[in-house]
Amino acid sequence: MDGLAGYVVRRLLFLPVVLLVVSFGTFFITRWGPGDPISIYSGQYRDPEAFARVRHTYGLDKPIIVQYGIWLKDIALHGDFGVSFRYRDRTIPEIIGPKIWVSVRLGAYAFILTFLLGIPIGIYAAVKQGTWLDPFLISVFLFFQSIPVLVTVPVLVILLAVKVHWVPPGGFDGIFSRSMIIPTLALGLPGVAGVARLARATTLGALHEDFVRTARAKGLDEFTVITRHVARNAVAPVMTTVIGLSLVGLIEGALITETLLGIPGIGEYTFQSVNAKDYNVILVIVLLITFAFVLANLLVDLVLVAIDPRARLAGGGGP
Amino acid sequence: MTASSADEQGRGAGAAFVAPAHAGSSPFARAARRLLRKKIAVICMIAIAVFYVGGAFAPLLAPYGYNHQNLDLAFHGPSLRHLFGTDALGRDTLSRNLFAARTTVIVTLATLATGFVALPVSLGLLAGYRGGFADAAISRSGEILASLPALPMLVLINATMRPRFLGWVKDVEGWLHWHGLSSSGFADYFLIFGVLSLFGWVGGMRLIRAQVLTLRRSEYVLAARASGATTRRVLFRHLLPNVMPLVVVGASASLGAIAGSEIALTFLGVGVQPPHPSFGSLISDGASRIALEHHPELLLVPAAIVATLIFAFNLLGDALNDVITPGAR
Amino acid sequence: MSNKLVLGAGAVAAVLIIGLAVILFVVAGSGGSSGTPAATSSGATPASTVSGTPAAGDLRVRASDPLFLDPAVAQDADSAGYIVEIFSGLVRLDKNLKIQPDLAERWDLSPDGKTYTFHLNPKAAFQDGRPVTAGDVKYSWERALNPDTASVTAENFLGDIVGAKDVANGTTKQLSGVKVIDDQTLQVAIDAPKSYFLYKLTYPNAFVVDQKQIAANPRRWTLKPNGTGPYMLKEWKLGDRLVLQANEHFYLGAPKLKTVTFLLSGGSSLTTYQDGGIDVTGVGLADLASVQDPSSPLNKQYHKADNAAIDYIGFNTNAPPFDDPKVRQAFAMAVDRKKIASVVLHGAIPAATGIIPPGVPGYTPDDKTLPYDPAKAKQLLGQSKYAGKMPQITLAETGAGGSIADATQAIVQGWKQNLGVDVKVQQADAATFFQDIDQGKYQMFHLGWIMDYPDPEDILDVLFYSKSRQNSSHYNNPQVDAKLLQARTEADPNKRIALYQDIEKMLIQDAPWMPLFFETSYYLVKPYVSGYELPPMVIEHYRNVTVNHP
Repeated sequence: MDGLAGYVVRRLLFLPVVLLVVSFGTFFITRWGPGDPISIYSGQYRDPEAFARVRHTYGLDKPIIVQYGIWLKDIALHGDFGVSFRYRDRTIPEIIGPKIWVSVRLGAYAFILTFLLGIPIGIYAAVKQGTWLDPFLISVFLFFQSIPVLVTVPVLVILLAVKVHWVPPGGFDGIFSRSMIIPTLALGLPGVAGVARLARATTLGALHEDFVRTARAKGLDEFTVITRHVARNAVAPVMTTVIGLSLVGLIEGALITETLLGIPGIGEYTFQSVNAKDYNVILVIVLLITFAFVLANLLVDLVLVAIDPRARLAGGGGP
Repeated sequence: MTASSADEQGRGAGAAFVAPAHAGSSPFARAARRLLRKKIAVICMIAIAVFYVGGAFAPLLAPYGYNHQNLDLAFHGPSLRHLFGTDALGRDTLSRNLFAARTTVIVTLATLATGFVALPVSLGLLAGYRGGFADAAISRSGEILASLPALPMLVLINATMRPRFLGWVKDVEGWLHWHGLSSSGFADYFLIFGVLSLFGWVGGMRLIRAQVLTLRRSEYVLAARASGATTRRVLFRHLLPNVMPLVVVGASASLGAIAGSEIALTFLGVGVQPPHPSFGSLISDGASRIALEHHPELLLVPAAIVATLIFAFNLLGDALNDVITPGAR
Repeated sequence: MSNKLVLGAGAVAAVLIIGLAVILFVVAGSGGSSGTPAATSSGATPASTVSGTPAAGDLRVRASDPLFLDPAVAQDADSAGYIVEIFSGLVRLDKNLKIQPDLAERWDLSPDGKTYTFHLNPKAAFQDGRPVTAGDVKYSWERALNPDTASVTAENFLGDIVGAKDVANGTTKQLSGVKVIDDQTLQVAIDAPKSYFLYKLTYPNAFVVDQKQIAANPRRWTLKPNGTGPYMLKEWKLGDRLVLQANEHFYLGAPKLKTVTFLLSGGSSLTTYQDGGIDVTGVGLADLASVQDPSSPLNKQYHKADNAAIDYIGFNTNAPPFDDPKVRQAFAMAVDRKKIASVVLHGAIPAATGIIPPGVPGYTPDDKTLPYDPAKAKQLLGQSKYAGKMPQITLAETGAGGSIADATQAIVQGWKQNLGVDVKVQQADAATFFQDIDQGKYQMFHLGWIMDYPDPEDILDVLFYSKSRQNSSHYNNPQVDAKLLQARTEADPNKRIALYQDIEKMLIQDAPWMPLFFETSYYLVKPYVSGYELPPMVIEHYRNVTVNHP
């Protein structure tokens, strides 16, 4: 498998190309659409001359391609990703940093839930292979995987906030509050099926390995065999995949969950920035998400290859 | 049937299968027979068929128009006149769900046709058969598109391009002196299936390209070429029939995702625009505070339909995968 | 083989994840270095939980982040809400929307009505103790108008001053119409006698800022501004909290309230209020029914406030079919706004009774709008030049939500039902919307207008004068124009108001607008809070609040 290292290096080298293309694409489509952040901010005050002056102050009257050049130059020379047109006295990291931090912690909750539910269920399903429990358990979570978050969230709100007042119907009251329960469930449950299936497959594999047979032969009881020997071998690959997969799923799920529940995370802020045409902030967010997405996908590919050698690496050249 | 592993394939699509076009009974028919033997698959297909028939014939089946309001009947619960009750404007919930299904039917089929059949087939054949610059250009663009997070990009593109696009549609309508495009909502559908197709073709293209690369050196293609067949003839007579089953499988596995994307886009306000109903807007309306507290059926009806549909699509996709690649699981 | 690979992949994975985390945090944390420490938020700030026990003299409110605390630039309500507490101008509005002295203790008006002489309050000072001089006022206005400040609205509010245009164009930095007589006296010349000029000075764009501070830190002074208002910015963590602290030396008397804490992290305001986490909260339409229920404990704590704002549908009087007044009248009479207000808006938002909103001089509660009369509407449409050949009609509104407001859909239904006209609703993002309105691309549009100052000129002249930039209806009626010009310079306040009421009647008859609803706010105040009143416009209102915990 000498291709593996080469593959990783090639994908990582491709990353800057992706980011450059994405930045150009995003730069172009955001600025090409009608209107600009100045006119949005100004609402009904429509003074064409004043607009023109302010646009000039921010260099928005230049051709898009020139603006893009300036943007690249500022990054290359000063590490400056530009100003936000909404919070004009803040740097972009100051604005999106806290939002990312909210989302990261929310994602961590969801990830822990996925992991805590998925691994035991997968191992249990593998042990019960051949009984009705195996397909039943997997199907139940496959169902959760199928429901879009925009269905899960309001249904959870009905169940947990409207019918019984266990949690607030929305919002964000800090990371250690009951308001985290609904988003955690909504973001965490869809991933369980994938993790459980993976854990099931790895467990099934491990159950037939020599060391398990030896352990059984030594007279260890089944529980010890499963928890000590099988689980340990099943958990490592599943865990890495989960991190990758949940990043991919979380990025998309966060957009809707945060918007629905009014959680001030990066998903909700992406949507706000798009609506406010806060060009530079949109760019930074898109680049960050793409960056995370590429890495997460690479990770998933690698783990899938490791688990199932029949799967080959995507993008590995033709004959 | 000779099974050979593809050089490249979309993740999770399972191993490819290849068969000479003139082998006894078609592999397609055999796969279909095996699929029909699976109970789950049949149930899923029935559910999906009910949905598609309901959606396609919504104008005939729905007891009311999708925007027929009656303020005196606002927020009424289920009754004989309105089986699923009415919404904030006294519109019939059943009718609105049927018309929402029509939106899903139109968007999924259109996206399927362009983004998951036409585009991947043509680009995959081109890249695999021509090679060289065409291959490099197509494969690299695919790689870049595949490395983008789809939903945020779809939201961004729809939010920024929509006004431009609607402007063009209006211009076109001005020349044609016909205003059916924007008033019927087809402009929205067009934009949505356009962007979904843009992000949808990569997986299928890779699959087909890999197949073509393998097939190109197979004996019967070489023989066809030796006997003086033109490139076009080789492509359409020999290569295409062989890759079609793959395309169908890949596409049907993506239907759930396509339906889900349209609903999410509409939910976020950048998809189908009101008053044209979509499950996205029905769920968004049903998730309002007043509806949640007093009329949960406004949310639960579309939510149950959407959940069932996508679940059925996913189970069917799994079953198809099992059928096409025996022993994959 | 497979186990080794798993380990290898795991190791790569771990490295990548850690790398990603490091990059995220470097990006998130790198911006904090140049800011003032108190007002800088860093990526690693833990979101504070709402404190359960209220502190003495502290009022806790849930609010949104201000965008930008520069009075010269701010025009959004979120920012303005903080700016009116931190900064101040020459004159202010009281809760009845009457002009009161502020930095200026008194002023004289020349007999021709074109020159104001302001005498500053000798106690007026910045929060760091430096006295406010007439030069500071002149500097602040010149700065607001300067193109480098990038204010879109400053010219709107200061443009009546002689020479303002030249400063806004960048031809000069000196505002020729403003003369500093001495440290305490400022003479301001305006281009015509305009009785609403003082009202314009109550808007944040005309507030006073500290020249020294801005010179020292031009980009980030707003993170710790040295204002002149009753409250100082003590702390502002983006997306978390903003704390205002009483300015004990405020020239009009120290505030009774020591601090006002704004919780910015979003969340369900009503739940937090019920849990005792905040002392005041707005009530949304959805929660209104439960709050209004007499058996609810919240019922006694609930208050209602009119906003000086109106929701309307505007007709483009240049575009077919609305260039025919009969069509406009027919459309206005075909919709039962009162029924929509009671059913769709749950009776919380009243149907508009005219164009001038409550709180503004000239407003009267009697209904002056065209009555709901389907038969008459149909008849008018039949008499119009578009009878039988109605073009395709589109109603435009701003919005990016998943659904058109129910009220809009009900209005469209009214036209369909009573006139047989199918109107399509088109939603556009704000930028497209205003661009297209300016270019006259819409036939009709759904909009709201929030008064900037309580004078009918701010709605009737600004929105209906034929040459006004905000005249989105492209309304052009020489008779209305003549009366508007007369009202601008009319010296007798009663005559002036009567003129505007005349104009309002003409406008309703000619129907460039179909007034829809007057906007209304509902809010809850804890019993231990006294003196809290939500004003109809954004004006300073925390100074006289007291919090007496049980």
